[in-house]
Amino acid sequence: MSGDDCDALDRGDSDGQKSDKMFTLKKWNAVAMWSWDVECDTCAICRVQVMDACLRCQGESKKDSYGKQDCVVVWGECNHSFHFCCMSLWVKQNNRCPLCQQEWSIQRMGK
Amino acid sequence: MSGVAKTAVSVEEGGNQCRKRSLHTNDQCNNKRSKSDEMSANEKKSNFSMLTSNSNGTVMMMAKPGASAKKLVIKNFKSKPNLPENYQETTWSKLREAVIAIQTSKAIAYSLEELYQAVENMCSHKMASQLYVNLTNLVEAHVKANIEQFLSESMDRQVFLKRMDDCWRAHCRQMIMIRSIFLYLDRTYVLQNPSIHSIWDMGLDLFRHHIAMNTLVQTRTVDGLLLLIEKERGGDAVDISLLKSLLRMLSDLQIYQDAFEQKFLLATERLYAAEGQRLMRELPVPQYLAHVEKRLREENERLLHYLDHSTKWQLIHTVERQLLSEHLSGILSKGLEALMDGPRLSDLSTLYSLFSRVKDGLNELCNHFNAYIKKKGRTIVIEPERDKSMVAELLDFKEQLDHVVSACFQRNERFTYSVREAFEHFINQRQNKPAELIAKFVDVKLRAGNKEATEEELERLLDKIMVLFRFIHGKDVFEAFYKKDLAKRLLVGKSASVDAEKSMLSKLKQECGGGFTCKLEGMFKDMELSKDINITYKQHLAGSGSTGAGSGLELSVHVLTSGFWPTYAVAEARLPGALAAHQDHFAKFYLAKHSGRKLQWQHTLGHCVLRAHFAQGNKELQVSLFQALVLLLFNDGDNLSFEEIKANTNIEAGELRRTLQSLACGKARVLGKWPRGREVQDADTFAFNNDFTNKLFRIKINQIQMKETSEEQKATEERVFQDRQYQIDAAIVRVMKMRKALSHNLLISELYNQLKFPVKPADLKKRIESLMDRDYMERDRDNPNQYNYVA
Repeated sequence: MSGDDCDALDRGDSDGQKSDKMFTLKKWNAVAMWSWDVECDTCAICRVQVMDACLRCQGESKKDSYGKQDCVVVWGECNHSFHFCCMSLWVKQNNRCPLCQQEWSIQRMGK
Repeated sequence: MSGVAKTAVSVEEGGNQCRKRSLHTNDQCNNKRSKSDEMSANEKKSNFSMLTSNSNGTVMMMAKPGASAKKLVIKNFKSKPNLPENYQETTWSKLREAVIAIQTSKAIAYSLEELYQAVENMCSHKMASQLYVNLTNLVEAHVKANIEQFLSESMDRQVFLKRMDDCWRAHCRQMIMIRSIFLYLDRTYVLQNPSIHSIWDMGLDLFRHHIAMNTLVQTRTVDGLLLLIEKERGGDAVDISLLKSLLRMLSDLQIYQDAFEQKFLLATERLYAAEGQRLMRELPVPQYLAHVEKRLREENERLLHYLDHSTKWQLIHTVERQLLSEHLSGILSKGLEALMDGPRLSDLSTLYSLFSRVKDGLNELCNHFNAYIKKKGRTIVIEPERDKSMVAELLDFKEQLDHVVSACFQRNERFTYSVREAFEHFINQRQNKPAELIAKFVDVKLRAGNKEATEEELERLLDKIMVLFRFIHGKDVFEAFYKKDLAKRLLVGKSASVDAEKSMLSKLKQECGGGFTCKLEGMFKDMELSKDINITYKQHLAGSGSTGAGSGLELSVHVLTSGFWPTYAVAEARLPGALAAHQDHFAKFYLAKHSGRKLQWQHTLGHCVLRAHFAQGNKELQVSLFQALVLLLFNDGDNLSFEEIKANTNIEAGELRRTLQSLACGKARVLGKWPRGREVQDADTFAFNNDFTNKLFRIKINQIQMKETSEEQKATEERVFQDRQYQIDAAIVRVMKMRKALSHNLLISELYNQLKFPVKPADLKKRIESLMDRDYMERDRDNPNQYNYVA
């Protein structure tokens, strides 16, 4: 993609220099939504959407204003994803992915 | 003369005794006639005080011979002093003469002192009972003689009353005088014999027996009095002192209640019953109330001026019953609405104070008040034509009611509560719409450019709105619309002040708890995080001297947490290479910082600043991303057709049509369209409008809004209903999990306790059925009305 984009950028650049262009874009305020990059959007352990805080955190978040911030998502090597809170409790009992029974090892963490 | 000797011995003591006794007698008198009024009590007092000093004087005189000796030795007389033979007869004739002189208002031949001493001596010699009988006969004869003047057939009432009054006054005067002379008799003989009336009471008794209890005299007197009172009520001036004196007479004679009061109250009742009926028909309510107030005031004055106080409760009660109690609902249904609409505060105060006097008055008032609020409130809420002004009207209405309650109804708790109850009732008569409009109202107030209020005013207004919000059952509807508007304010940077926003948020939190606002708070958090990200991104660009930096295009991105924000439809668009590259660059930067996330660009929400070069000079255009994409196409070619533009931008046709309309048919026409016309057709062509002029340098070209009112609104409502279904499901499962087994009715009532929004039983049934389908619960095999929880 880089080749194409560079061309485009160059052209845009030169457009900006020339005053004969009728319109020049000065400022762009864009909006994007982020969500966890997961295959299944509910956590199989607590049955809550991974975008929301897990049940445990929701209960606690009633006490302070932003409880949800720390309830991140974790991906195992099997590519299944859960709330980190839920999974860290789960592995204490059973060190396997609750969905595929593979040995659980963390592939990456949401941030 | 042992009596004399005794007195002589105890000189000072005797004086004291006298005083004590006089006090004692005085008390007794008061007890006996506790009902008698102040004035006669005063008369008696002065009378007694005269007697006391008199007796003192006598005592002192007798003390003289004793006082000269320094030492008193008490010795018995050697022989009893003798009385003259006819002592009793002569003394009595002396006294008789004096009494008759008093009764005929003539001068008394003997000194009062002499007479007093004569009485005392007679009493000392055991002639008291005879003396008392003689005196009684004498008085009785005189009283009997007096009746004649009242029996003549034709006599003017006024004259009759006058004469009666004179007779009574004379009687009192005489009896006081007589009692003064016979005080010693009163103090010794009468006190020692409880069955015998005091001289004063004897006089009253005789007067009552011979004059007042005479049927003819009594009816004449009472009728005359009633007539006078009726006249006075009618507004005529009458001789009040005469009335007063005669009524005192009745109560002194202890026939006030039997002879007068009954008839008086009956007359009062009849008068006011008729008056109440008549005036309720004739007068408008405020005047009627004023009239009632006036009547009550007058009756109170009457009590003050001449009626006996024992009548007070019954009299006032009678007036209240006839003028108010009988007409409670009549007054309210005839007048309350007009009074409230005014609002006529002073009349309402009168209404309240009058109604608070009678039983059930305030109850009735409160009920009508409540009904009025519900009726009026309903008209504000129910009609779609009034939607625009609904919230403002509701605020005004609430304020007016609060004012009435505090200014006229003495902040009566019951009324305050009634206002609340009525508001909650009528505001929920129309589902969802009030909640939506309140949210919109807040939006308008919180939006920048709303300069009509200072911060304090805004704060106060928000507080008032919160009061309305409290009444709303469907708080989730409010939240949905509020969130949508808040998102708009935040993304477009249109929020008037962060402080006001935060203040509103904390109010909502206080009202509904953290769960209600955590997503809204998350939106603010997102805004702050985005600011930080944009700063670090800029630093990153500057540091790396990267490709994206050179274009002169400044990119800032709001990265929103999906789930916090309203969901927006994803709209496709083909970005020019420069933009796309920039966007990708940012995405890479962002995802490197936040692993495990993905970004979804929301083109519909993006907006841009474009520099435009027209023949008349340069302008800066504030446009949406779509508008910008369209305009940028004209850099490379003039005269583009709709189809070409559509192909180049890949914007959805309807959206593109609106975008073009805003650029070529709106207020600021930076493009020209052929053929001209308001609607954009597929075959139309567009060109750069080089002759564009505008006195402003920065021009905002508004995106033409999709019919937000219908579709977007419906979408928001839909979402709310969807959320509600989940909440119902959750509540059912919660209840069932706790109870394990529950009958249908109990489950439904538990659900109504838990759910904070209005639901129909049929909807609950549907959810229960759906949960049974999904095996969360099951119907009991033996009892079809019972559900069991399935673990």
